[in-house]
Amino acid sequence: MNQMLSQFPQADQPLILSEDELRARITSMFNEMWREDREDEPPVLENDTVLLETGFDSMAFAVLVARLDDELGFDPFTMVEEPVYPQTFAEFVTFYAQCAPKPV
Amino acid sequence: MRAQAGIGGLAGGILALDLPEDHVLVRAPDKVVRVSDLRLLLTLGAVLSGASVALCFTEPFDLVRALLALDGRVAALMLLAPDLPADVKRTLMREAGMEHIVTDRADMEDALTLDALPDAADAAEADSFDTRWLLTTSGTTGTPKCVAHERASIFRAVKAEQAGSRDHRWAMLYDPGRFAGTQVLAQALLTGATLLIPRVGMTTGDIVDWLSEEGCTHISATPSLWRRLLMAPAALRLPLKQITLGGEIADDAILAALKARYPKARITHIYASTEAGTGFAVRDGKAGFPAEWLERGAVVDGARLSLRDGVLWLCPPGAAMSAAAHIVRDTEGFIRTGDRVSIEDGRARFLGREDSTLNVGGVKVQVEAVEEIVHAHPAVAQCRITAKPSAMMGTLLTLSVVPRADQAHDVAMLRQEIAQYCKAHLPPAARPATIRIVAEIPVSAAGKTERAGQL
Repeated sequence: MNQMLSQFPQADQPLILSEDELRARITSMFNEMWREDREDEPPVLENDTVLLETGFDSMAFAVLVARLDDELGFDPFTMVEEPVYPQTFAEFVTFYAQCAPKPV
Repeated sequence: MRAQAGIGGLAGGILALDLPEDHVLVRAPDKVVRVSDLRLLLTLGAVLSGASVALCFTEPFDLVRALLALDGRVAALMLLAPDLPADVKRTLMREAGMEHIVTDRADMEDALTLDALPDAADAAEADSFDTRWLLTTSGTTGTPKCVAHERASIFRAVKAEQAGSRDHRWAMLYDPGRFAGTQVLAQALLTGATLLIPRVGMTTGDIVDWLSEEGCTHISATPSLWRRLLMAPAALRLPLKQITLGGEIADDAILAALKARYPKARITHIYASTEAGTGFAVRDGKAGFPAEWLERGAVVDGARLSLRDGVLWLCPPGAAMSAAAHIVRDTEGFIRTGDRVSIEDGRARFLGREDSTLNVGGVKVQVEAVEEIVHAHPAVAQCRITAKPSAMMGTLLTLSVVPRADQAHDVAMLRQEIAQYCKAHLPPAARPATIRIVAEIPVSAAGKTERAGQL
């Protein structure tokens, strides 16, 4: 049981990732969630892709952020004082990169 | 509290049963109390005759032994949880006017040890008191409170000895210093049964092994504890006759699992309201209770029930209790329990506490209701919903699942399977945003799934 669990670490410590790595993780989580719900292929996420035009509603984005928090160990939306509303995929990734833990 | 000559209290009640001298009253893995030991215990207790005494024991067996010695001997007994900080213990004792503390712990100043008490005069000559019991509640926040019970209210629900009850073997899985524990203790000891008390620190597996070896016939536990017990392989060998669930909502999944595992046992689930200081038992093996119990004029275990705006109100039997500040009571004596109930197909079902609803994007979600649905999944042994802050939705749900040990699971597959299951059975706001597969879910000292600070 513990052995099985260790194959799937749940983030206790934030990971240190580059912006490219973050982009890959976010894309992969987006695709995973998409396939849970739908039969068709997920849209390709480009820099100028408008998030709310992807087919994900605000609930789905909230869940995406929660799952990324479990995987990456941080939720940028709960870290900032002023609410942030990224509109495009590039803004979303940049926001994550800005709030990501930095190497000491 | 008036003194009378003679032996009263628990020991007096047991002696009145006229059991054989070698009958085992209390058994732990390494020690016992027999009827023949009661006389020595009563001599020790007589030393503190009429005093107000706090008890603080690490080992529940030793606490029960002290209760046998002191109940009916002293004016008041205060049962302190062993893990309370020393200054909290002192404050509680001072506020309640306790004169002595008896303990099995080495780390307490000015404390007495039961077996080191000097021998008193003849135990039978000592006065008998209607000892008041003071239980401490473990508030999830702040200082624990002390609740005083007249002896009668602790022993009110004890059923008289019946044919065969001397052969019953009751497991003590609650802390004997809490109300649920006092009920098991009183019921077992005053009907001539044997009380089986595991040692502190035994694992659930060891406890179930030991209880099976000892032929345990009666177990009272919370649904969370039952789910743990059922995960132990030796649980199959428990020769159970009576299964009691209380302290949390007993859902259909756990009731059905117990019915399947112990087809010969009687299954009872207890609803008790702290606010109303009373409750009732449901014996038909189904979750909730018959909706006709809510009708005007119906009386259930002495109480009357009423449903108002989805919340259960309860009118306790007998005289009204003293009014605490947070108790809401109507002119007829009905008390608001704070437990939410809905009616479906003639059955009233518990949804959970009013304060365990979460607001997910404007939709109210009752966490117990979600847990009940997840528990019904065949691969789930235990589960818990906690709140996860979300900037977009306010709150989202996180689900932690302990998988059943008797099945092999691929963690990623299981997580996906449970996600699909939630999607099929729950409305969008009630679906967990994240699912964690974990090795265990903490249970509080009262045997309930920990919620403190999570909601």
